[in-house]
Amino acid sequence: MRVRLVFFAALRERMGARAERSVEPGTTVGALWRALVAERPELARILVRFAVNEVYVEPGHRLADGDEVAFFPPVSGGAREAS
Amino acid sequence: MFRIVRTPIVLERLVRAVRDPAAGAVVVFLGTTRNRNAGRRVVRLEYEAYGRMAAAEMRRLAAEAERRWPIRKVAMAHRIGLVPIGQASVAIAVSAGHRAEAFAACRWLIDRLKAIVPIWKREHFRGGRVWIGPQSGTPSRRPRAARRPSR
Repeated sequence: MRVRLVFFAALRERMGARAERSVEPGTTVGALWRALVAERPELARILVRFAVNEVYVEPGHRLADGDEVAFFPPVSGGAREAS
Repeated sequence: MFRIVRTPIVLERLVRAVRDPAAGAVVVFLGTTRNRNAGRRVVRLEYEAYGRMAAAEMRRLAAEAERRWPIRKVAMAHRIGLVPIGQASVAIAVSAGHRAEAFAACRWLIDRLKAIVPIWKREHFRGGRVWIGPQSGTPSRRPRAARRPSR
C-alpha cells in the first residue's frame, strides 16, 4: 500500500517537504521511521513526533493505505521559553 | 476562527469573532517577536506550520477549554513565514461571562498552543539561524504527554 510522507522544520530540511512510499500492510509508524533512519543514519539524532492524517499518534499506530504520515520535531514552545 | 496566516494578524478580527451578548469580558493575548533570546540578538523570526493539523489542534484546544471553563467563544491565529521583530506572531481571544474564566482559559490556551500545536520557530540572528525547541537529542518513546493538559 502507498502512504504519503510529510516533513517539517529540521526534518524537512533533510528529507524534503513531501514524499511517497510503499509499505507492507500492517506497518506501524515507528517501523516506517526506523526504515527511514536505516537509510539515513543521521536522522537517528533527531527527536521526532508522529501524526497520521493530522492527529498525533504513538509509534505503534498501524498505517492504512493512503494515510498522510507526518514526521516533525517537538514544537517550539517548550517550558524553557515563555513569551 | 482558527487560522494560520501569512500576513500581519489583525486583532480586531479575533475580537469580533468572539463577540457575544452574554460575555462580560474579552481577554486577548498577543505573543510578539522579541529582539533577544538566550543572550543573542535576534533580527527576525520565522515560523513554519503543518497548516491543516495546526488549525485542527487549535480547534481541539478551544473545545477542551470550553469543557474546563464556562467561556463563550475562542479565536486563535498564528502567523507563519518571516515575522519582523515587535510584531504579533500569535493571538488568542476568549470571551466569557466574567473575566476570571476568560483570563484562566486564555492563559491555558497559549501554554497548550505552544506545547502541542505543530508550529516551529526559527530565529535569525547575525551570522545564522537556528530552529528553536528540541530538534535533536535522545529519542523519546513517549510522544509528549500533550493531550492530558496539566492545570
